[in-house]
Amino acid sequence: MTVTTSGKAGVRAIGSPVRKADGPALLTGRGRFLDDYSLPGTRHAVVVRSELAHARIVDVDVRAAAASPGVVLVLTGEEAAAHAGPIPHFIEPAARGGRHADVRCLATGKVVYAGEPVAAVVAGTRREAEAAAALVRVEYERLPHVLDADAALEQDAPRLYEEWPDNVILHNHYGTGDVDAALAGADLVVSDTIRISRTTTAPIEPRGYLASWDDLDGTLTVYGSLQNPHQLRWMLATSLGLDETAIRVITARVGGSFGLKMQGHPEETLVCLLSKLTGAPVKWIEDRRECFMAGAREQVHRFTIGAMRDGRIVAVRDRIVANTGAVSAQAGWAMPNMSATTLASGYTVPNVRAELHVVVTNKPPLNAARGFGKDSAHFVMERMVDLVARGLGADPAEVRRKNFIPPDRFPYRTATGLNIDSGDYPGLLDKALRVLDYDALRLRQAELRAAGRHLGIGLAFELTPESADGPGSFVSGFDVTTVRMTMTGGVTVYTGVTSPGGGNDTGIAQIVSDELGVPLSWITVVQGDTERCPSGFGNFSGRSMVVGGGSAALAARDVRAKLAVVGARMLDVPVDEVKVADGRLRATGDGRSVPVPEVAAAVLTRAFAIANDVEPVLEATRAYKPGNIDHVPDERGRIQPYPTYSNCLHAAVVEVDPETGVTKLVDFVMAHDCGVIINPALVEGQAHGAIVMGLGAALSERLTYDADGRLTSDRFKTYLMPRAGDLPTIRLEHQVTPSPFTMYGNKGAGEAGVGGAQAAVANAVEDALAPFGVTVREVPLSPPAVLALIDEARTR
Amino acid sequence: MNRIRLVVNGREREIEVEACKLLVHAVREDVGLTGTHVGCLTGDCGACTVLVDGASVKSCSVLAVQADGAEITTIEGVAGDDELHPVQRAFWDEFGFQCGYCLPGMLLTARELLDRMPDPDDDAIVQAINGNLCRCTGYGSILRSIRCAATRMAASGEPAEEAS
Repeated sequence: MTVTTSGKAGVRAIGSPVRKADGPALLTGRGRFLDDYSLPGTRHAVVVRSELAHARIVDVDVRAAAASPGVVLVLTGEEAAAHAGPIPHFIEPAARGGRHADVRCLATGKVVYAGEPVAAVVAGTRREAEAAAALVRVEYERLPHVLDADAALEQDAPRLYEEWPDNVILHNHYGTGDVDAALAGADLVVSDTIRISRTTTAPIEPRGYLASWDDLDGTLTVYGSLQNPHQLRWMLATSLGLDETAIRVITARVGGSFGLKMQGHPEETLVCLLSKLTGAPVKWIEDRRECFMAGAREQVHRFTIGAMRDGRIVAVRDRIVANTGAVSAQAGWAMPNMSATTLASGYTVPNVRAELHVVVTNKPPLNAARGFGKDSAHFVMERMVDLVARGLGADPAEVRRKNFIPPDRFPYRTATGLNIDSGDYPGLLDKALRVLDYDALRLRQAELRAAGRHLGIGLAFELTPESADGPGSFVSGFDVTTVRMTMTGGVTVYTGVTSPGGGNDTGIAQIVSDELGVPLSWITVVQGDTERCPSGFGNFSGRSMVVGGGSAALAARDVRAKLAVVGARMLDVPVDEVKVADGRLRATGDGRSVPVPEVAAAVLTRAFAIANDVEPVLEATRAYKPGNIDHVPDERGRIQPYPTYSNCLHAAVVEVDPETGVTKLVDFVMAHDCGVIINPALVEGQAHGAIVMGLGAALSERLTYDADGRLTSDRFKTYLMPRAGDLPTIRLEHQVTPSPFTMYGNKGAGEAGVGGAQAAVANAVEDALAPFGVTVREVPLSPPAVLALIDEARTR
Repeated sequence: MNRIRLVVNGREREIEVEACKLLVHAVREDVGLTGTHVGCLTGDCGACTVLVDGASVKSCSVLAVQADGAEITTIEGVAGDDELHPVQRAFWDEFGFQCGYCLPGMLLTARELLDRMPDPDDDAIVQAINGNLCRCTGYGSILRSIRCAATRMAASGEPAEEAS
């Protein structure tokens, strides 16, 4: 097969829509995902899960399971606890002023959610393991459970963790200013409650791990569908009591992740332990039902917003109650923290006070999810802005314009402490309105309304803080890349960031191509292997191009500098009179050139001749730390964990049928600014995916549970993700406001869309149903929910 | 155990399977072609789509024994010996995938559509892939890819089934 990934000679790779480097492998079925790995003698694991939301474990009877055909091992929580300690938290709540709870790979003593792992079966085949798992008898003593976060805050609520005084994992206050005084002086004050339902990430490939313990040399090799191999290695070393250097973690090709595959899941430690105990490689593949347990968001906001008659918003107060489910070692519990911090988004609201209760309940844990809580902030903030516009009788576009941080006031410190690097938010609004033909659309809306049809237009701004750094945690704001050139000019890039499918490997190759001056086709990017890649932090927070790209650029420049010294000698010109491009090193004066591979060979084979006094290593490892991160608390105790802030303006056009409650998406526009774009096609792909994830949350996606806390939306037939036929053509507009704090002025892409799309659709539905006077207080806006809104408005 | 014969990507295979084995598991484990993916096992996501006697089938919803004697095309059989099928090229050029996990289903569904309808309109394309879930792309680039493949195949004058 003949394939090329290279762009045209002489064309800068950065900024070009270069095709994905993994195209040939994926298009022909050669991409190796976790379930495609097979080691000799592999056994298969199935997890036995609690059927109760809250119960004491009285007895686990494994006799029938152990005698079942093909079974190698049945492991209970008590036995697992003898071999493995608690799983360290990705973000330790106690270190953030919250409460700690031990999480183990299998429950001991009691279960705190339906679905919690209580035992594991290892057998020769998956089917044998499933059959045996059904024979494990767990005797429980049922305890009262609580699924709702408000109910869990009650004094007499069932308590999940007996050593805690209540069910609150984190309670915190955010913001500055005198909200009471500002509200007292406001012309308009709106108070309401907004609920964000529990949704999930649901990548098409669920999680999976394959662990292989080597008894002879005491080492562990773990293959996984995951985002953060180095953090996982640390986590496994801690929970299993091994030295980190005895563990190798290899990231398989990842079939989508969206935060789900950040580490901290019990099965990671469990599968490794099962391999150690059986002396065989053990594979566990999550099934779809298990995958649906992971929650992405669930919050209630009770807010008050105050504005002046001219549209200026003067104060926001928000009391947030977030339902994080049971405690997990994953990072999900920390997401609501960002919901509070991201208020009041990109608006110059001087007085903002948020109070946050992150509450544990007997639902399954929240897991990290695209948006990481910022999405919920935008849903609420943008609903609030629309309610202000409605209260003032003003155009929602103009209320936004009135309150946007002006382009000349960056960097701008928000009331909650974020230091926003740069932006042109009115510019985004103009772009979106122009593409929408806003004024004409409003006329059309009026015509349709007169004819009894309900067209709605909803706007939403979205600010996405990206590339986070959490002091003392493995949420790191830097990363590390090695660039290595062989004697024949081939380039391998080993980087600490990973790609769950979005294509940052291609983007990093583009950067190395330009910085090193060699064609893309010479470059291979290696990610996700703790033995091959430098110690880094993987994928989260839109960081991969900011810090993976930045560190790759620095390393490539170092290698190029060495090529330049030796190449200049070969051409007999001063070193500042050569350039490297398209795989040749050229004298800028007379244009004579020498191929890069010849220069590489000279460095490595003529180290005592023409490359004399040059250190003969064609390899560099560099870290890149962007600017604008500041962990020294200011006079109000605020820190600044993000270097850069992508932003966008969404516009949704819907038509609602008040007879059926069906909302049809008619049009969707996103004007987007992620600074300088390395690969526009990949950025657009990320944006489309995030928008559609937000549209799903807005209209159809919701995790549901029965009264006993058992998941009832456990398949794609009951958890309704958008399909191709549900969507309009989504239109994107780019605006480029470079970040002053990153290598190329890029800002991180991939998260923006989830929150903004929810808000834009909610605003559009409320706008469509304005004749009924409805107020949208909840998503998803499924047909029954829309009908209930209309009924409620009619009976009021 | 049941002995069945399949012609997989043009190559005759004889395998032994339990009566309850799903076609997707037979293709992955017994035939050894792992390009076909499992996403849900409930017939909803379409990641496991293969062609059975030319028709797209969710291979998690069919028993292997039901396919006895059938011709199966998987993602590994879409490309020619030394070049990508126009549908594959279009998906690459138009960014019709990100993580690639749903890609086998999308490619085979698209291939089947273009085999029977060389010039599909937008509705037909949407209808064809409405049974396939993608969580990465938002579908826009997938629709574009299929349209692009149809246009190119029409321009080259090759019927779809000979283009490989």
